[in-house]
Amino acid sequence: MVWLHSALAVLVKDMKLELRSRYALNVLMVFVLSALLVVLIAVGREDISAQAQAGLLWIVILFAAAVGLGRSFVTEEEQGTVLLLRLHTTGSMVYAGKLLFNFVVGLGVNALSLGVFVLLLNVEVTLPWLLMLTLCLGTLGLAGATTILAAIIARTTRRGPLLPVLLFPLLMPLLLSAIDATHQSLGGPGGWEASLNPLLALFAFAGVVITTSVLLFDYVWND
Amino acid sequence: MERLSMEIASPRVRVPKYRVIRLVVVIWMTVVILGAFSFGGWVLAIPRIEMLEHTARNLYFHVPMWFTMMAITLVSAYHSLRLLQTGQAIRDIRARTAALLAVVFGLLGLATGSTWAHYTWYEGTNIWWNFDPKQSMAAIQVLIYGAYFALRTALDDPEKRARIAAVYNLFAFVTVPFLLYVLPRQMESLHPGAEGNPAFSEITDPIMRIVFYPAIVGFIGLCWLLYTQRVRARVIEERIEALHQPIL
Repeated sequence: MVWLHSALAVLVKDMKLELRSRYALNVLMVFVLSALLVVLIAVGREDISAQAQAGLLWIVILFAAAVGLGRSFVTEEEQGTVLLLRLHTTGSMVYAGKLLFNFVVGLGVNALSLGVFVLLLNVEVTLPWLLMLTLCLGTLGLAGATTILAAIIARTTRRGPLLPVLLFPLLMPLLLSAIDATHQSLGGPGGWEASLNPLLALFAFAGVVITTSVLLFDYVWND
Repeated sequence: MERLSMEIASPRVRVPKYRVIRLVVVIWMTVVILGAFSFGGWVLAIPRIEMLEHTARNLYFHVPMWFTMMAITLVSAYHSLRLLQTGQAIRDIRARTAALLAVVFGLLGLATGSTWAHYTWYEGTNIWWNFDPKQSMAAIQVLIYGAYFALRTALDDPEKRARIAAVYNLFAFVTVPFLLYVLPRQMESLHPGAEGNPAFSEITDPIMRIVFYPAIVGFIGLCWLLYTQRVRARVIEERIEALHQPIL
């Protein structure tokens, strides 16, 4: 109970801070919109296949995650609140709280990207529930991997563009499965039946990533 | 977790035994290479298959690269795990050296495979990269180790660097098996045993196996030789660096 309470407290604290400054939300919203505009202009009036559409959507989502979700631990480090957090909580509570926060923010951002994408790019969604399920499972895996990597880069002295470098090779299985399932939901030939394997892979990926993170997090968090 | 001990325990080496093994590896590799390039006509004359011709000899080099890379990847992950358990500085040196060798053998495997496909399967076209699952997996593995080394350069404190890099190495290690599940469903393969291609055991001539199996052992032995030598050299280098540190 204490564990759950503390994890939720970390989540609520991050939510309050975010609502007060609105930094991540503003940056992410503008980033997603401008990235989609770039895609839109690059594609032009060309009719692109459902496979390519799914690929473009997930590239935008991936870059948005690398830009927006990486800050969760860096801000603690910058504002000098790490020690206080370490004093009052254990590693797994912090991880759970930050994971939930990243999941919520990621879900919001990805829903926004999807909405704008569907509106602007003339996308035909044939299986909306499949698309939403894919987005949720994909975001869960994405948040799981990004949270521990964000904790890792918060410990480094030279950050720069380190997060995408660390993140992208690890997310290849997630990206491939998510694109496959999204392709099916945008009028792909297989439908639900063909999406079962990628959905299973997405679910298992999220599970493995989060489990490993819980096991390894203390080594990153504690000195 | 215990703190990293600053004094690096030197790996214990039994010198005569080590020299014997080294000699065996060197002679073994010499014989393997002689066997791989034997054009004598009667010893180890490989069957001439249309399109493959003598490029089939690449089997002796290309495939052992993958076996070696997988073996050394396991070594790297194992030592990262031990580092987190024990905090010994030598584990970090071992994990890093193993990762470096995995990159070397991975790049060699990619180069031999890509060249092989270009001049046989894709003869007459301009294709060098064909999105083969095994090829993509190796490329991702090399990228992961690239990220691992990038992360190392971003950390200054040696103790923290060892620990954080080990966490990343292990974290990456658990995501790679997913590629085995995901990739073959999405891409077609030229490799044996995939998508209607006959398995390795059905198509490989017994003559070629005489060289092929020893080649696997030989390349793993060569990798072991490079690995142990690099580890000991690195231990000495770090000791010298420690000597040059100003005493405060």
